[in-house]
Amino acid sequence: MANTHPTREEDFDLYALGALGGDEKREFESHIASCSACTEKFAAAQGRIALLALAAPPAVPSAVVKQQLMRSIQESPKKAIQVAPRIAKDPARQTPGEKERSQGFFGHWWAAVLAPVGIAFAIATIFLWTQNRSLDKQLTAMRASLDIQQHELSDAREVADLMHSSDTMTVALASMPGMPKGSAHVMYNAKMGMLMYDGKIDPAPADKSYQLWIVPMKGDPISAGVFKAVQGEPNHWMMKLPEGVQPKVFAVTMEPAGGMPQPTGPKVLVGTV
Amino acid sequence: MSVEPRATDAALMGRLVQRDETALSALYDRYAGMLTSVLNRVLHDTQAAEEILQDIFFQLWNSPSRFDAARGSLPGWLMVIARNRAISRLRRHNPAAGDELPENTVLMPFNLETAVSQRQLVDRVKRALENLPKEQRAAVELAYFEGLTHSEIAERTGDPLGTVKTRLRTGVETLKKNLHS
Repeated sequence: MANTHPTREEDFDLYALGALGGDEKREFESHIASCSACTEKFAAAQGRIALLALAAPPAVPSAVVKQQLMRSIQESPKKAIQVAPRIAKDPARQTPGEKERSQGFFGHWWAAVLAPVGIAFAIATIFLWTQNRSLDKQLTAMRASLDIQQHELSDAREVADLMHSSDTMTVALASMPGMPKGSAHVMYNAKMGMLMYDGKIDPAPADKSYQLWIVPMKGDPISAGVFKAVQGEPNHWMMKLPEGVQPKVFAVTMEPAGGMPQPTGPKVLVGTV
Repeated sequence: MSVEPRATDAALMGRLVQRDETALSALYDRYAGMLTSVLNRVLHDTQAAEEILQDIFFQLWNSPSRFDAARGSLPGWLMVIARNRAISRLRRHNPAAGDELPENTVLMPFNLETAVSQRQLVDRVKRALENLPKEQRAAVELAYFEGLTHSEIAERTGDPLGTVKTRLRTGVETLKKNLHS
C-alpha cells in the first residue's frame, strides 16, 4: 500500500480509530505521509471518529482545574522578569568620611559580629513583610477567582443537567415568510425551569430588538431574552424561568429596541412543541 | 434580559493569538466538559484526566497558531488530541502496546460551538452507536476508548482476528452512514 492509495474507504476510519497494527499501520502511514489527497481523506475520517468521544458519559471538570489554568497563564510572563543582583559598594570609591565611619564601627570585634546579624535580621523582616503583603494580595485574588469559578462550575453543571435530562425537549424554530432569514433551536426543561437558546438570524433594523417568547399552554407569553443579531454571528444564552411552565410554542418577535413586556411585533421565528 | 452575540471559535482563536485571557476562558467553558468526558472514559482516573485537560489548554494558550481555524474543526482537533494523549498515558503503563498516535488536521462537518448543538450531536452519535450490532459496537468501543488494535481486540475477546477485522470494518462503515444520514 506504500505507493498506492488505500483500497477501501474504511481504511481511513480504521486508522483514525487506531485499529490498524503492524504492517497495515506502517504501510498506511508511509502512504499518507506523501499523498495529499489521502491526507485530506484522513482528516475527514479523524473528524468522524472523534465524534465517538461524545458517546462518553458526561463529566464536568472540577473548578480548581480552570482556576489553576488561568493562574498559570497569568503567571507565565512573570517568569521572564529578571531581578538584577545587588552590587556591593567598592571600598575604593568610599569617601574619607565613609572610610572612617566604616573603620570606626567595624574596628570593634563585637560590631563585626552583630552588624551582619542585624542586617540579616532587617533584610529578613523586610522580606517577610513583603511576602506577607504579596500573599495577602494573592489570597484576595484567589478568593475572587474561586467565587467566579464556583459560579461558572454551577453554570456548567446546569448545562450538563439540562443536556442530559430525559425531560429536556429540543424545539426547532424556523423563519416566517417575509421575515428576516434565520433558524434557531431551543432546549427547554419545564421541571428545571431552564431554557437554552441557540440561533442565527439576519440583523433587525437599528431601532428594533428581537425577543424570544415562551407561549405557555395557559396564560400570557413569557419573555425569555431580548437580543440584537449580528450578521453571521450566532446568539446563544441560557436562562432560568419559572418552573413547571408547559410550553405550546416558542417564538422570536421583532420589538422596539430593548424589548416589551408582552409581544407586540411580528413573529420572525416560530417553533411549535 | 438582554443578550449579546456569541463569539465563534475562529474569533476566539484570533483573540487567543492576541493574548486575550477571556478567549481562553470562553474556549475552556465551551469544550472542557466534552474533553473531560472522553478523558475520564479512557483513563478512569479523574486526576490524570484533569492533568491532561489543563495541559491541553495551557498548550493552546502558548501555541494557538498550531491550530489552523481556516482548515479544521477546533473541537474535533481538541478531541483527537485529548483521546490520543489519554491512550498514550494508558500505554505508558504498558510499554509494549505501541507508539503514540499522530496529531493532524481534523475536518468535522458539524458545529459544536454551543451546548444545544453539542446535545444534538451527542444524541446522534449515541443513536448511531446503539444501532450497531452488539459485537460491532463493542469492537469499536474497545478500539476507540481503550486504544486496542485488531489483534489486541481478538486477544482480549478470544474471537478470531478475521472476525474482529470484519466487525470493525462493517462497524465504521455503518457508523459513517448513520452519522451523516
